[in-house]
Amino acid sequence: MTASSTAPLLAIRSLRAAYGKIEALKGVDLDIKSGEIVALIGANGAGKSTLMMTIFGKPRARAGSITFDGRDITDVPTHEIARLRLAQSPEGRRIFPRMSVAENLQMGADATDSSEAERTAGLERVLTLFPRLKERITQRGGTLSGGEQQMLAIGRALMSRPRLLMLDEPSLGLAPLIARQIFDAIRTLNRQDGLTVMIVEQNANHALRLAHRGYVMVNGLITLSGTGAELLQRPEIRAAYLEGGRRG
Amino acid sequence: MTAPASQPTSFSRVPGIAFIFKKALISALVALVLFSLMIGIRTEAGPTGQLIFWTRFGDLASMVAIVFGGSIVVELLRQWWGPVETVRIVPPSAQNAMAIGRRAIAPVLLIFTFLVPVIFYDQRYILDLGILVLTYVMLGWGLNVVVGLAGLLDLGYVAFYAVGAYSYALLSTTFGLSFWVCLPLAGILAAFWGVLLGFPVLRLRGDYLAIVTLAFGEIIRLVIINWQSLTGGPNGISGIPRPSFFGIPLTPGDDGLAARLGIEFSPTHRIVFLFYLILALALLTNWVTIRLRHLPIGRAWEALREDEVACRALGINTTTTKLTAFATGAMFGGFAGAFFATRQGFISPESFTFQESALILAIVVLGGMGSQLGVALAALAMIGGFELFRGFDQYRMLVFGVAMVLLMIWRPRGLIGHRAPTVFLERNQAISSELTSEGRG
Repeated sequence: MTASSTAPLLAIRSLRAAYGKIEALKGVDLDIKSGEIVALIGANGAGKSTLMMTIFGKPRARAGSITFDGRDITDVPTHEIARLRLAQSPEGRRIFPRMSVAENLQMGADATDSSEAERTAGLERVLTLFPRLKERITQRGGTLSGGEQQMLAIGRALMSRPRLLMLDEPSLGLAPLIARQIFDAIRTLNRQDGLTVMIVEQNANHALRLAHRGYVMVNGLITLSGTGAELLQRPEIRAAYLEGGRRG
Repeated sequence: MTAPASQPTSFSRVPGIAFIFKKALISALVALVLFSLMIGIRTEAGPTGQLIFWTRFGDLASMVAIVFGGSIVVELLRQWWGPVETVRIVPPSAQNAMAIGRRAIAPVLLIFTFLVPVIFYDQRYILDLGILVLTYVMLGWGLNVVVGLAGLLDLGYVAFYAVGAYSYALLSTTFGLSFWVCLPLAGILAAFWGVLLGFPVLRLRGDYLAIVTLAFGEIIRLVIINWQSLTGGPNGISGIPRPSFFGIPLTPGDDGLAARLGIEFSPTHRIVFLFYLILALALLTNWVTIRLRHLPIGRAWEALREDEVACRALGINTTTTKLTAFATGAMFGGFAGAFFATRQGFISPESFTFQESALILAIVVLGGMGSQLGVALAALAMIGGFELFRGFDQYRMLVFGVAMVLLMIWRPRGLIGHRAPTVFLERNQAISSELTSEGRG
């Protein structure tokens, strides 16, 4: 990890969380600096999604702290966290199926204090990034394909003009080509708009190529961290996440 | 019935005559088994208490024949009307006409409703029926906020109707307050009870919520029955003041509206006034709902119906969103209740049973959850239908049940399942075409 003089945008310190008696996070430390893409990889049940949900207060942290932009948000209600412009595209996309694409996008901006001009600009940005959504703007969300729904989920999160965008498994269930398009869009957002992104992925190869830095999570603990390129070279990463099928 | 080879109508599997007959035969057999005891044998207690029974095989045979024939008709209609996979053979011209008709329904219906007291001025029965239908339209629209928009299954909506009715009845008989003062109070009180119900059920959804709301409706009714000193218990409250025309009573006296206008007094004036009053209240409900749907709060209700987790992640306070939905729906129920009390002049707990809740919910579901026009049509069909088939007496519920089943076969989302979107792109904020055509990603 490279030392930085600026304070991280999101700082997580010895975070613990549990579902009932099952401890899902056993003391996680994680930093996200402004302007970087951070990937969190790990196997099923490692606690990646739990970490993301705990940042949003569901489930609540049992111990440790979460600081976003210098403010302790460990005990802030979920809906208020989102208003701090910390946006997420949840696992399984969770778009609103009976509402139109336009309404889905509008929902992303509704809870924020964005002005009308900012909303329009945000909408324009999303539709430029995902031209498919513009073609489907009057369709119901449920009638979109999986990839389009993922675009919609990301677009909806972007409508709140986030300072940190958290994506939970954006490539889940998508054809490789569509997944590539999603990752390209994330890279564009990071490069052109300076958006800070945290991406939770099982697709370690893709995620680590995209990310500046990565964390590896195993059984509720961060076991490895480093730059994306570094992690891609680590033999244990290659064995566990990249060539898992071929290891015999 | 062979399809031409050139046409790629791949999935239009048209069942043959044998299939239809087989299906009809099975239906008839089921009907025979079911009806053989229900209709085939009639029992009654004799004069000395013994059991008398006689057979009605003629009726049984005709019922089975109806089921057999009906089954064939249903199957044929199904092929003509077509479920999703089959190709529709409705001609395009007919489809066009239907589209125009569909768009014209709402305005035509509204104009007709306005003219009802003019057309049927002499027919008290129709006016009374109109008032009844409009009351249920209003209740349906009120419940639609909770069930159709916010997706919170409420089986105890009649509780708010009761709160509104008793609020007006008690306030007017005890303190002598006028209808126009009591109307907002009744709405506020009902909304308050809506919030009160909302708090304990914040974490519940679906079946669990339905059970708690069902219990809530019963609790309100039982409290009304048992709190004799306040509500008069099962005897109810009588002598509830009739509404005045903004302070001018609708009576034959010298200060009555008829005398002031210099026209001859007629008791129909009051009925007409009540008709327009409930029409105005219903339209108010409709207008507020439509307005709210275009505001963030209305969108939040609909989003809540779709996905609560996503709502929270987007920064929507689900607690206040749910409570406002309950409160808004309850408020309209309260208004309708106050109107009910002033129209009847007498209320008792009998009017606020679970059956009412179920009827209102059926109106919302049949109408197509979330559709304003659908709810209005469903209220007309249900309440009007009940009256229409009053002559059929014992077959009324049968016809009603058959109608419901047919509706759910062809229109599983309700009469009007289409949901009108509320957000549109303005032309000037459209993206230039070169950006959209540059590629897909």
